[in-house]
Amino acid sequence: MRYLPYILKHLRRHWLRSLLTVLAMTFCIFVFCVLQTFLAAVQQNLEAGDSRRLVTRNAVSLVFNLPITYKERIAGVEGVERVAAQNWFGGARKAGDFKDFFPNLAVEAEPYLEMSPEYILTEDQKRAWLEDQSGCILGPATAERFGWKVGDRFQLESFIPPYRVGKPFEFTIRAIYATDEKRFPGTDKTVMFFHRKYLDEATAHRVGVGTYVTQIADPARAGTISREIDALFENSERQTHTETEQAFRASFIAMAGNLALLLNSIGLAVIFVILLVTANTMSMAVRERRTEMGVLKTLGFSSGKVMGLVLAEAGLLGALGGAIGIFFSTGMIQALPHLPFIGDAVRGIADFGLPASVALTGFSLALGIGLIAGLAPAVAAYRASITDLLRQV
Amino acid sequence: MGRNRPVPGERVFMAMVEVSQVRKIYQRDTQAITVLDGIDFQVPEGEFVALMGPSGSGKTTLLNLVAGIDRATSGMVRVAGQDLSTLSEGALARWRSHNVGFIFQFYNLIPVLTALENVELPLLLERLSKKQRRERALTALKIVGLSDRAQHYPRQLSGGQEQRVAIARAIVSDPKVLVADEPTGDLDAKSAEEILTLMETLNRDFRKTIVMVTHDPRAAQRAKRRLHLDKGVLQA
Repeated sequence: MRYLPYILKHLRRHWLRSLLTVLAMTFCIFVFCVLQTFLAAVQQNLEAGDSRRLVTRNAVSLVFNLPITYKERIAGVEGVERVAAQNWFGGARKAGDFKDFFPNLAVEAEPYLEMSPEYILTEDQKRAWLEDQSGCILGPATAERFGWKVGDRFQLESFIPPYRVGKPFEFTIRAIYATDEKRFPGTDKTVMFFHRKYLDEATAHRVGVGTYVTQIADPARAGTISREIDALFENSERQTHTETEQAFRASFIAMAGNLALLLNSIGLAVIFVILLVTANTMSMAVRERRTEMGVLKTLGFSSGKVMGLVLAEAGLLGALGGAIGIFFSTGMIQALPHLPFIGDAVRGIADFGLPASVALTGFSLALGIGLIAGLAPAVAAYRASITDLLRQV
Repeated sequence: MGRNRPVPGERVFMAMVEVSQVRKIYQRDTQAITVLDGIDFQVPEGEFVALMGPSGSGKTTLLNLVAGIDRATSGMVRVAGQDLSTLSEGALARWRSHNVGFIFQFYNLIPVLTALENVELPLLLERLSKKQRRERALTALKIVGLSDRAQHYPRQLSGGQEQRVAIARAIVSDPKVLVADEPTGDLDAKSAEEILTLMETLNRDFRKTIVMVTHDPRAAQRAKRRLHLDKGVLQA
């Protein structure tokens, strides 16, 4: 600590250079934290999938529906406990306007609730929903976002052509489901569920089923049952593809072109550039101060101590940048759901916030970059003899 | 600041600096350059010696050996009773911080530190509180007559004042030996006079043993003894 004022004074010597280096580090940690927070949230959402649930979709694409008749045949497979049909409705308060978008699904309410314990309803709430065909249940985050409460009515209109019936669908909120972070971490708090029967009747039974959600008794048999289900429809016009709910969610990420790899690559590129920037700063700082280092050694500072001072200076640059980067990324992550376009993408992610582990990794990374950047000049200062250092003017 | 005055019965003239058969050879590619060749001399405690000679005669190299910032190729350098060749790099650094104060030609103050902080720098290596460090640094500045400039940065001081701050830094750890490499080489005549007077005071009143390199005959006149070096050999 006694050397801290000395180190700070040196950083202030070329304050603009120090400031720019700290800002570069800030940007690096900011990007790292935001990207990693997004990835962590996506990962958590994936892990939230129940390993006892399978999802069956059209083998060609999610865009194409499956016949309603498939339900009974899937239910007949050994090991299947229950099946629920569901459709991604894609409704918005104004058709095509995704500014206020939140995920909404038409589901077969009874079996779906039975196999989805993460959406917690009281018996009264459940009954109220089941008895009202235009009723819906709503995630607490969405209810809070729009200031909606039980009994409120609102309209949604889908952008998907088969679900467009010339007028908006009208819904009454029958319950706001609760979640339990300990038992079911990562549960989405933004989804709205309504009766599939409502969608089916409003579209005059013209639409099929988007996906079938199947609950199985033994997660260890997920692979076998998936193959058995798909085998049922192997020779039919609409073949199926069945996988676990976790794999189904992961496929969305794969469709986005391996988002994790992309984001990590961006993060690594930024980190590498900042490492070079900081290394350049430290090399310049040490090169300019060779004589001073010679003086320090002459005064009795050991080579190790001089090396330590250089490393401490580099580490401090990193730590400062890291701390500021974390501060700004916290703000950005909080603001992200309120931004247009990007906000729509992250709003559905449960508990979107900077995890402590990401912040800690970001800070360690900043410190590490600083120390690595300072290592080469520090070793050079360590090795140089006093007479060589004093000879440079 | 300790006044190393002799007490009755004490042996006054023990050798503070003892250089025996010292050679220093630099290797430049395949060529060996002998800078010092068989140097022998002693400096008793409390003496003020001027090392003179033309450029390239090996004055600064010899001074560096005495200060423990370079090592002899062969021979022995004993300063304040310590054979410097036996010390490791770390031990030599600790030894320097306690036994030698170095005064440079171009002062070599740290520009981002105030005069007080510059003087305080060697004390960071001691087990002292911040208050103790401040007090000792202020005392050193008072000795060189610059206590009123404690908060000034080097750029706010004249050359003579900068050198006085450098001298304060050299004496703040109360070393036994002061080594000075052309301490007046970058100063005008008046400032040089002041610096030499200050060094005389340190030698006379504080019993500091001083080895000063200079090629200014007027500066050398202020020393008690003059040694002449030419082509790496001490002249009789």
